[in-house]
Amino acid sequence: MSRRGPRPAHERLRRLLVMLPWLMQRGEVSVAEMAERFALTEDELVADLELASMCGLPPFVDEMIDVFIDEGTVFAGIPRVFTRQLRLTAPEGFGLLSAGRAAMALPGAEPDGALGRALDKLAVALGETPGGEGVVVDLARPPLADLVAAATDTGERLAITYWTPSRGESTERTITPRAVFVDDGHWYVFADDHRSGAERSFRLDRVLDAAGTGQYDPIRDVTLPDPGRWFSGDTDIQRITLRLPTELLWMIERYPTNSVTSHPPPKRGPAVSTVVMPVTNEQWVRRLLIRLGPRAVVESPAGWVNLAADTARSILANYDT
Amino acid sequence: MAEPLERLTNLLALLLETKQPLTLQQIVGELVGHYPAGDAAQRGAFERDKTVLRNVGVPIDQEVLSGDQAGQTGYRIDRRRYELADLQLADDERQALQLAVAAVRSDESWGQEGLWKLGGGSERPSRAVAATVPTFESLPALREAVAARCPVSFDYRGKARVLDPYGLLLRDGYWYVIGVDHAHAEVRTFRVDRIDGSVLVGTPGSFERPLDFDLRSVFPTDPKLLGEPENQIRTAVVRIAASHAPIVASEVGDDAIVARAGDGSIDVEVPCVNRDAFRSWVLGMADHAVVISPAEVRTDLVEWLTAIAGTDVQ
Repeated sequence: MSRRGPRPAHERLRRLLVMLPWLMQRGEVSVAEMAERFALTEDELVADLELASMCGLPPFVDEMIDVFIDEGTVFAGIPRVFTRQLRLTAPEGFGLLSAGRAAMALPGAEPDGALGRALDKLAVALGETPGGEGVVVDLARPPLADLVAAATDTGERLAITYWTPSRGESTERTITPRAVFVDDGHWYVFADDHRSGAERSFRLDRVLDAAGTGQYDPIRDVTLPDPGRWFSGDTDIQRITLRLPTELLWMIERYPTNSVTSHPPPKRGPAVSTVVMPVTNEQWVRRLLIRLGPRAVVESPAGWVNLAADTARSILANYDT
Repeated sequence: MAEPLERLTNLLALLLETKQPLTLQQIVGELVGHYPAGDAAQRGAFERDKTVLRNVGVPIDQEVLSGDQAGQTGYRIDRRRYELADLQLADDERQALQLAVAAVRSDESWGQEGLWKLGGGSERPSRAVAATVPTFESLPALREAVAARCPVSFDYRGKARVLDPYGLLLRDGYWYVIGVDHAHAEVRTFRVDRIDGSVLVGTPGSFERPLDFDLRSVFPTDPKLLGEPENQIRTAVVRIAASHAPIVASEVGDDAIVARAGDGSIDVEVPCVNRDAFRSWVLGMADHAVVISPAEVRTDLVEWLTAIAGTDVQ
């Protein structure tokens, strides 16, 4: 974990209060191990512990926190104050409970396993009534998720049938799944795609079928794309500028945008916003525009100002019967 | 003057160790050289420290004293409220919780900070299986209000709301708070990311949540079913072109297929209670989907498309 600039006192205090009781129990530990455990640099850790060892009130001036560092090792002396952990804060309680419940919804979790038992204990400690969960994570796991997640463990290649909406067709491909992840309500498999020879993310709800091939690739670690930042930073990607009533902004909140500008409300009529967003292809833009309806206006590029009307007419042809 | 961290640590130790509540004057007297001279400056610095300690999660009790300190405020920390209750986690349970935190991607390190207090270490983020859990500042307070049965009030879409919160649900990538809206005396659902400003939490134990209440079933998974319960027409039949038939069949399930044609196209019966969501779903397939019946729903869609077709710019 990296950090920039000086750490504020409350951050240092928060971490110190977590570290001291742990250290008192542990007795002695290397600076390197302790720094890694608590996500600090060694210099930060040494600075905080040295300052703590200077703290004190009568009758324990300078020895209230009995800690010293020698040759890269931290030693804890007689425990006095700060021997017990501070209670969980509201954010910490929420963070643990929501993470635990999310993990229970992922492939491989067993309701009666260790995580289930840990969550039961945590829920009681956090005041949840048994049987009345106050935090529920519903990831709507698709049926294929378990098969694909298992393949990330074994390196097995899968033969999949994949639906591509922009082309309106499905293709047969072979992939080696590397990771399965859920982002923004969608499940993805991040995989080596043997058709393109590159790493690719596939949406699991568009995998119509998947089957093991009996062929295996070596397992390897991958770096997942950052959540919600699929392609919005890429300057080569085409963009569209849309003007639409502000009340329709929710319809595009799922998509990456480069900018959203809300204009001052006019004297008459609804407030309007201008949105610049990256687009994958013209088919995608067509579908977006007809869903947004007659009040959305394309400002640029000029070639697309009548795209919505053209698309609407071609669909209407299906209704002329 | 001492470094802020040193002063905070000493103040915390003092309030933990004291048997009697201490006045500001006594605190300044004990922490020699820590606080500036002058009543106003002292008070200001102490208030800031108190805020920092509370933000870190330290419960500071304060009471108005009697006797020879009558009228002054005394401060102390109750160890029983300060200390973490032992969760009695077995090693494998702690390890499982650690893996769970590592499998969740989030903008905040709340889970990791909590894990340290439970004796867990730092796990490298999981690569193989991961879920993104969005976080908002109001979520921890809402969760505590759910557990303690406190009403909450907040602004939402320009209106002040008061709610008995029954629970929080993450679905489709959004957090929802679900509970009884006081103004309507019925269960309503609110998107947490659309709450404006902060959430005010009321008195604990103000309501009971029904025993059989199930957050999962309180609102439907299919957006085409959301809202507008007065809508008489509940389903519509949509013809899906052969190219899109497999993906739609896998989405709606075989039970929803009401007809199959020789050219590979299928007719599916899907909910249309929420007309906006329904239209969006149909138009997401552009000219590969056609609404067949009922006539009213079909006409709706034709009118919508006709309006768009009239937006040509010459």
